[in-house]
Amino acid sequence: MTKTSLFLSGFAALSTLALANAAAAQDIVLGASVQLTGPVANTGRYYRDAYQLAIDKINAAGGVKVAGKPAKLVLKLYDNQSDVNLSVRQYTQLVSQDKVNLLLGPFASNFALADSAVSEKYQVPMVQGGGASDQIFARSFKYIFGTLAPASDYYASTIAMLAVLKPAPRTVALLYADDAFDVSVADGTRPLLKKAGLDTVMDERYSTNATDFNSLLSQIKSKNADVVLVAGHETEILNFVRQAKSLAASPKMYSFTVGVPSEDFRKALGKDADYAYGMTAWLPSTALKDRWFGDAQAFATEYKAKFGYEPDYHAASGAADVETLVMAIEAAGSTDPKKVRDEIAKVHFPSLYGPIAFTAHGQIDLPQVVIQVQGPDLVEVYGATGFVKQPKYPMPAWTAR
Amino acid sequence: MDLLSQILVNGLLLGGLYAVMALGLALVWGVLNIVNLAHGAFIMLGGYLSWYLFTVAHVDPFLGLPITAVVMFGLGYVLQRGLLNLVVRAPMFNTLLITFGLEVVITYLAQLAFSADFRTINPPYAGGSWQIGPVALPIARFVAFCVAIALTLGMWVFLLRTRLGRAIRATAQNLVAARLYGVEPRHLYAVTFGLGIGLAGAAGGLYGTVSQVNPYIGAALTAKSFAISIIGGLDNPLGVLVGGLFLGIIESLTTLYIGPTFADVASFGILLLVLIVRPSGLLGKTA
Repeated sequence: MTKTSLFLSGFAALSTLALANAAAAQDIVLGASVQLTGPVANTGRYYRDAYQLAIDKINAAGGVKVAGKPAKLVLKLYDNQSDVNLSVRQYTQLVSQDKVNLLLGPFASNFALADSAVSEKYQVPMVQGGGASDQIFARSFKYIFGTLAPASDYYASTIAMLAVLKPAPRTVALLYADDAFDVSVADGTRPLLKKAGLDTVMDERYSTNATDFNSLLSQIKSKNADVVLVAGHETEILNFVRQAKSLAASPKMYSFTVGVPSEDFRKALGKDADYAYGMTAWLPSTALKDRWFGDAQAFATEYKAKFGYEPDYHAASGAADVETLVMAIEAAGSTDPKKVRDEIAKVHFPSLYGPIAFTAHGQIDLPQVVIQVQGPDLVEVYGATGFVKQPKYPMPAWTAR
Repeated sequence: MDLLSQILVNGLLLGGLYAVMALGLALVWGVLNIVNLAHGAFIMLGGYLSWYLFTVAHVDPFLGLPITAVVMFGLGYVLQRGLLNLVVRAPMFNTLLITFGLEVVITYLAQLAFSADFRTINPPYAGGSWQIGPVALPIARFVAFCVAIALTLGMWVFLLRTRLGRAIRATAQNLVAARLYGVEPRHLYAVTFGLGIGLAGAAGGLYGTVSQVNPYIGAALTAKSFAISIIGGLDNPLGVLVGGLFLGIIESLTTLYIGPTFADVASFGILLLVLIVRPSGLLGKTA
């Protein structure tokens, strides 16, 4: 085959693909731009997979009823290559050229922060389950809704737990990356620490994608911080834990905003993940009933069977976003973006992710439970009603493990 | 005082790792005048190779380094022979473009092949540390540091004392004269690039033992290696070692005294300063 014919046949294949993707007139197209490649692709995939699974499930159950007529959902997904600017362009294309009906979100706060400007400008509602930063909702935008618990509350349950741990921790080191989400976490955590009467001995912002934490860890050791709270990204936290081990730094406890709920994070650290604390607004429990999946446990089983890895709260949040749009379309009896927007603001339904309802700012309000890696298991240790399972505290020295 | 000595040790060990990362880039740049933008991607490949050797074939990551280096040498040799030799005498812009393209292709192939999951090379002893007085000496980092010193000195002796090393330097200095003496440049270029990539592979193995490997670590490592090469100078491997150690210590001290977000400001600030004051690097020959 010559190069030209190879090129032509490739082109032909692409255009058939495009035709196959083109939606039938009565279909409802949901558009999203997600990180499928690039540095955060390992979290971006949760959204692609959750969106697709939820859409397939809803279609299999007869689709969406719009004013009595059933319609199918179609996903129009772009890969933003973990590039914020590209993601903004893709959302613009989704609403202005692809003319999708409604929008689903990207992963991560800095993306949602930028992309919500597009949904606001074109007045097409976006329900996103990937950005938790309070900044996204502080601008009185009307077309952005979020299903991640507010970043400023991430450490609330952890700090509540600190008050009842024995021996009581006294000193805290707070480290956070310099991006929208992590800065919001730190801003929300500081007053909570103060109120709890804990002494903050370190409060340091570090560069996103930092790989060397030896200096910070040495300071943590020399200042004898009992509790270390890190708001950052999975790669940074992997390096943090590995370097903590290599410097024999072992505070009484450390807790991370991301990583602990994710299977591949725990796998990468192996035994060294033990004792690490985190938080999650979601665990696959049968108590969370769902109209399409039955319950959260059934969702998790189906997800794992289809994609080969465990869902975490990102995936559940993404699936809930699809369900939110469907509930709002049915309530509105139309796919008109403005009508759907007003219905999203009013939704109130139980889902696999938890009860879905939005505050006046457009963000969900979900409590987070404290989780800990205990040997091979991820254990819920502290929730709204106190201890669920005894935390392993304090963390033993690295040499004593 | 205890904290300061710990920070200095941290910086020194970090610097050793930096040096071994930059060694290959500086060699290729100095001899072939190719700024290899895919350098970090080769470090990443070396990391994966070491990871597979460790988890699948159960080869100790440090003992596996020579295997990684040899395989990567082969890859480098073939790439230079088949691809880069075509543009080696073209303007620098062309080689920048082609190595940039290589980096993109390698990175995305890596995601296809290995997925975006993180990998860590984690032999049971690697996470430990020796306590020397008030200072904790992380074992994996210390071994990586020793390997870095050994590789640098080895490269230095190789370039200065061996026939092949002299031929490489001769080609870099005066191609016509070198050819008159019977040097075959195409083969020599390929050997040099192979050495550079072999060193990158070894650096990747070390990097995976102290940090984590995913398909996207390359670009940042290229930038760091680039800065170190400029700070140290391209003339000889000792310069790269000094550049790496210098940068490691400066970054650690900046984190301690000014704040972690300023570590990059400090390193690129120093890069600028060196370019202004000593454009050929700390150990470079002044023109």
